[in-house]
Amino acid sequence: MPRRVNSPRRRAQAARRPQRYKDVLHSQHGHRGRDFRCVGCRLDVSLDAPGTTHRNHCPNCLASLHVDRRIPGDRAATCHGRMEALSMSVQPDGEWMIIHHCLSCGELSANRIAGDDNALALVRLALKPLRDASIAQRTLLALCPRPTSRRRVTGHPRRT
Amino acid sequence: MSSTNKSLPSTPRTILTGTFTCAWCGLTVSAAAGDGTRRNHCPSCLHSQHVLDHVEGGRSDCQGRMLPIAIAVLRTGDWMVIHRCVRCDELTSNPVCADDNQLILMRMAVRPLAQPPFPLEAFGDL
Repeated sequence: MPRRVNSPRRRAQAARRPQRYKDVLHSQHGHRGRDFRCVGCRLDVSLDAPGTTHRNHCPNCLASLHVDRRIPGDRAATCHGRMEALSMSVQPDGEWMIIHHCLSCGELSANRIAGDDNALALVRLALKPLRDASIAQRTLLALCPRPTSRRRVTGHPRRT
Repeated sequence: MSSTNKSLPSTPRTILTGTFTCAWCGLTVSAAAGDGTRRNHCPSCLHSQHVLDHVEGGRSDCQGRMLPIAIAVLRTGDWMVIHRCVRCDELTSNPVCADDNQLILMRMAVRPLAQPPFPLEAFGDL
């Protein structure tokens, strides 16, 4: 008497064994233990960066996360808010530093730029004070009041 | 206006009415600016002093000199000066006053472009 053939779906259910617990992948320094995912653009970022040993921001959109308090990597802050790049600062030796601003608690922090940071985003950040024409123009006018008109005045008697 | 009133009890009244001496250039400055707000940095050299604890809101024991390091722009377009304490490395941001030294403000704003870490010629095509 022929055995009754099971349906393929039921046979697949019987053949499936429970998945093993993969603790090797989720340990502290195992799979992706040195990576993070950017909160702004969801880019997967490795912690190994050229030029710095303390990468804390996304190289694409420069966003960061408020997890460290004073020392880079101490993970002592309880805020875990999102930090946006606020402005660009220059150290006395000419190195650029990004000033981050926490959107949830308002804390400021400074971090060196890395070698693979998005150059366009960096330059946009550095040009931010000069893009708003009103304040920058007022400041420049206060520094040098109308140099072109003064030259015209001094050049005028010489021509006549 | 309400924010300044809220911060008043934490700051001594003598700071608002009196004068202070700049920790860097020694200029004696009146604490009230021209528009009535409280001044927290020297208008001549933009240096400040770490007398307020910005994390907990009270007085700070540091009393260190605070160096202006950067210009930040708010969404409203106003400029803020970012100070860093030379003793404890605390960062604060303060609004720019109308009578602040424009030369130092503009020098800080264009400082990153004077020493770029990569050549800026490629951005001319964009």
